[in-house]
Formats: sequence, C-alpha cells, structure tokens
Amino acid sequence: MNDSTTAHPEAPPYLKAWDDYVSACQTLFERLSNPAAAAGGGAVPLAFLGSWKDLAARLGMRPDAAPGESSIPEDKFASLFPALGYSREYQEIGRRMLDLTGQFQRRYAEFLQHSADIGQSAFQATQRRASKDDTLLASPAAIYDAWIDCAEEAYAQAAHGEPFARLLADLCNILSEFKIERGKLLEALARQFDWPSRAEVDSLHRQVGILRSAAAKASAAVKSKRVAKATAAAKPTTGPKRRGKRKIRKTPERAGQ
Amino acid sequence: MRALREIGEVQVGLSEKTCVYAEDKIQLHHYVPLARSARVPPLLICYAMVNRPYMLDLQPDRSLIRELLSLGVDVYLLDWGYPDGADRFIPLTEYVCGYLGRCVEFILEQNAIDALNLLGVCQGGTMSLCYAALEPRHIANLITMVAPVDFKTPENLLSKWAQHIDVERLTQSGNVSGEFLNLVYLALMPFRLTQQKYVNLLQMEGDRAQLENFLRMEKWIFDSPDQPARAFREFIEWFFQENRLIRGELTLDDRQVLLKNVQCPVLNIYAAKDHLVPPSASIPLGVHVGSEDYESLQVDVGHIGMYVSGKARKTVPAAIARWLQERKP
Repeated sequence: MNDSTTAHPEAPPYLKAWDDYVSACQTLFERLSNPAAAAGGGAVPLAFLGSWKDLAARLGMRPDAAPGESSIPEDKFASLFPALGYSREYQEIGRRMLDLTGQFQRRYAEFLQHSADIGQSAFQATQRRASKDDTLLASPAAIYDAWIDCAEEAYAQAAHGEPFARLLADLCNILSEFKIERGKLLEALARQFDWPSRAEVDSLHRQVGILRSAAAKASAAVKSKRVAKATAAAKPTTGPKRRGKRKIRKTPERAGQ
Repeated sequence: MRALREIGEVQVGLSEKTCVYAEDKIQLHHYVPLARSARVPPLLICYAMVNRPYMLDLQPDRSLIRELLSLGVDVYLLDWGYPDGADRFIPLTEYVCGYLGRCVEFILEQNAIDALNLLGVCQGGTMSLCYAALEPRHIANLITMVAPVDFKTPENLLSKWAQHIDVERLTQSGNVSGEFLNLVYLALMPFRLTQQKYVNLLQMEGDRAQLENFLRMEKWIFDSPDQPARAFREFIEWFFQENRLIRGELTLDDRQVLLKNVQCPVLNIYAAKDHLVPPSASIPLGVHVGSEDYESLQVDVGHIGMYVSGKARKTVPAAIARWLQERKP
C-alpha cells in the first residue's frame, strides 16, 4: 500500500494522491512509534501535510482557501466517483441538489453585489440632495425620508434593468429546480414508510377531475334534452290534431265462445 | 409597542353578508342592503385571486362595498378562497368560465334577470374582461378597477420580472405559495415596504385607531392565498409573458377571447400612482374594447389607495353608482 506506484497510470489522479497520502501516513506513524527517529525531525511532517493537501485538492476541496472564501460544494463531488450501484438515482438527486446549491450561491452573491451597488448609489444621491437642501440635515426624519426616496429611485433604476430581471428569474428558477429534486426524495421517503405520497394524491385529484368533468357533461346533456323536450311540447300545433294510433287490445278468446 | 400588543386580533370585512352559493373553495356572498335600492341590476364584484377580497370592506369607515351599499347598489362578492393542493390542476378556463360563470348564472336566476353589472378588480378585472368577452349577453355594464390589460408596458416591473421565470418549473412541484408572492410584492418597493412604513408606525404614538388601521392593512398584505399551480402558470404565461389578451390570441373554453366582443358600457378606473398595475397597463382597454360607451376614471392614488384612501372613498363609489344609474335598463 505504501508503494505509490500501485495505482494504475491511467487511474483517476485522486487515487494516486490517496496512495501518496496513505504512504505519508505510514511513514509518519513509523516515525512516531520510534522515538529515536521522531527526535530526528526532518521532512516527514512536511511531506505528510503536502500529500494531504494534494489529496484534498484532487478531491475538489480547497485546503488553501482564505477564510471566508466561498467553497463550491458541487466541485467537491463532481470529481468523486460517478453515481453507481444500488442507490445510483438518489446519488444523482443529491448531486443535482448540490449543483443547484452552488449555482444559487453564485447568483445570490451577484444579487448581494447589486444590492451593495444600489445602496452606494442611494447614499451618494442622498448626499447630493442634502448638499442642496440644508433643512434635510436639521431633521432626522427628513434625512431618513430623503434616504428612502433615493434608495427607491436607485433600486427602481436597477430593478427595471434586464440584468436584474434575469438575476431574479435565475434565483427563482434554481429554487424551483431544487424543490423538484427535493420532492423526488420526499416521494421516495413516503414510499418507504407507506405514507400517501404527493404523486398518489395528485393521481387521485386527476381522477376526480376527470369524473367531475364527465358528470358535468352528462348533466348538461340531460339538461339540454329536457329543454329540447319542453320546447317541443310548448310548440303550438298549426294543423289538425293528429290522432294517435288506436291501440287494439286483443283479448284472448275464452274457451267455449 | 405596548399599544400594538394590546390591540390583539383585528377584525376585517364586517359588513353583513350571506353566503348564497358555494362550490369547492369559492363562495358567493350577498350583502345586506343599507339603503333604498337604486334599481340597477345587481353588481357582482370579482376580486383578484392573489389577494383576499376583504380589502374592499376593510373596516366600516374604509369600505368600498359599504359605500356602494349605502348608495343603494345591490352587491355580490365572489371570494376565491384559499386554494390548496386539491386545486393545483384546475385550469384558468375553469375559474373564468366555470366558477365565475356559475356565480353569474346563479345571480341571474335568483334575480330573474338576463344581465347583471360586473365589477372586476385587479386580476379579477382581467378575468371579468375575459368573461364579458365570452358571455356578453350576461353583462349589462362592466367596470374594471386597477385591471391590467396590456401586460407589456415599460412601467410594468412585475411583468419585466415575469418574462424570464420558468413558470412550468415553478409550478411543477405544486401551488405557488402566498409567501412567495408576498416576497415579490415587497421586492417591488423594498425600502418603503420593509423599513419606512414601520418607522412611520412610531409616529402614531399609541393612537389606537391608527394602529388598528395599520394592523388591518398589515394583515391583508400578508394574507396572500396560495395560487393554484395550473391556473397560475396559465395566467403568467398567457398574460404576462405572451400578452395574449391584447393581441386577441387568448383562448378559453375553446373559444377565442376577443375584447371587441365586449359591447356593453365599460367604465375603466385606474390609479395614477399604481406600482403594481401601472396606468399604462390599464389605459389601452379603451382602444381594444368593442363598446362604444367607454369611460375611464383616473384617481390620484396608488394601487391599495384605490380601495382604502380617503381620496378614492370620496370619488370612486359615487362615480360607480352614478355611472350605473345613468345606464339603468
């Protein structure tokens, strides 16, 4: 295992990094279990840290990321194993949710940037307004109202723009997609517990809808037939009354007659 | 703050009424008259599905419905209710030609008349226009109030935002929540609606009546029903994204909805400072409607001010009653 050449040359890079990391671990443990060698110090701890960073980087993590720097979760998993096996579909759902989370984070960061720009413009506009009107600075209420007016103006200018509309729509569309994926997981969970699922209820509603529509059509047909019958009955007859066909009742001949 | 806490639950929609027809989530209310009848056909108010209709009867001294009743108008109100998961597959056609249509037929039958007056408010105005275009014989006079007709005008921020929304995806996992709609409305004027109005609240200095007004409004603003998925998708796609109504390309109940078929007298009331339905979205009705008796009334208020502001209260109900009176059959 400590031989880093065990990984196939065409194997994914993280496998080689894994081997290197395990090898570094073994060396470190050997050194630590041997006080004489440990006292010697040297390059082992540094090699250990280096192999750890390399492995982390191969797995998509960012061990050198500065504090507060955003990490992109989908990148961590995109470089991992492909979704395979018994739970493949759930892995795919999880991966898509992570991907959507990353997309949302990026677009939301842009939204925050827009908001900061709007705040900046509003602040500048308020300053300009205050420099022209001394009474504003004399009253906290007046300066506050001026700030609100300027903020709404700056916001409206941005909000009416195409980039802002696209940004809001993207955030909404990503969340919609996320909700769809979450729904798939909930469906699976409901099946496991034998709970009624949304799909089941939807199917029932559809059936009720079809039945109601059929009932309404049948009821309309009956109604129109009744109306037609009533109209026909109410029609004044112009010609002589037609005699109904005389019914001839046949009576069975009595025996002996 | 203590005064606010002491108020507790506020009451809304207090005018006396009876539910005369109900079907699924919808209810048709008939208001008890408050004055001698003006002898005009009954007025059916069709409100928007995206908000609750009690805004038209928020409190006794801020009630469009009450004002109309006191002017002798016989008022019915269609309340769409709170749609839930059972309604997610109901198409827009069913709301316009089905529920609204059956309410109209019920009132016609109950009053033994051939046509009634219809007042459509906001989205309900658009729906009323569609109905009037499809069933012109049932409508004596049509009034639209802050109703969008042209959905693609430069001032229409909601429409701009709606253009890139994938509504199919949005509604794929069910109804669109009222909370989502509330967020969208707040985002139209975020600084005023999430900050300034609460700061202004401090200036009320414990005035109970003012605080109650504020709370009633607050209750209404955040009382947005969930939107039935399919009807919502169709409304956004057909009206906001494709502007079908004004282009004469809308089909409901397998029939083309043509505004030129609206031949009855039309009164179009719109708000000059409307941030939800800008005047430019309402004004074009006059060009497209088929009626030769068309009038418009601009009120110098905002969207919500149209229902509750003192300015609107002084002009709108009286204008409606007078306009109806002049067109009495």
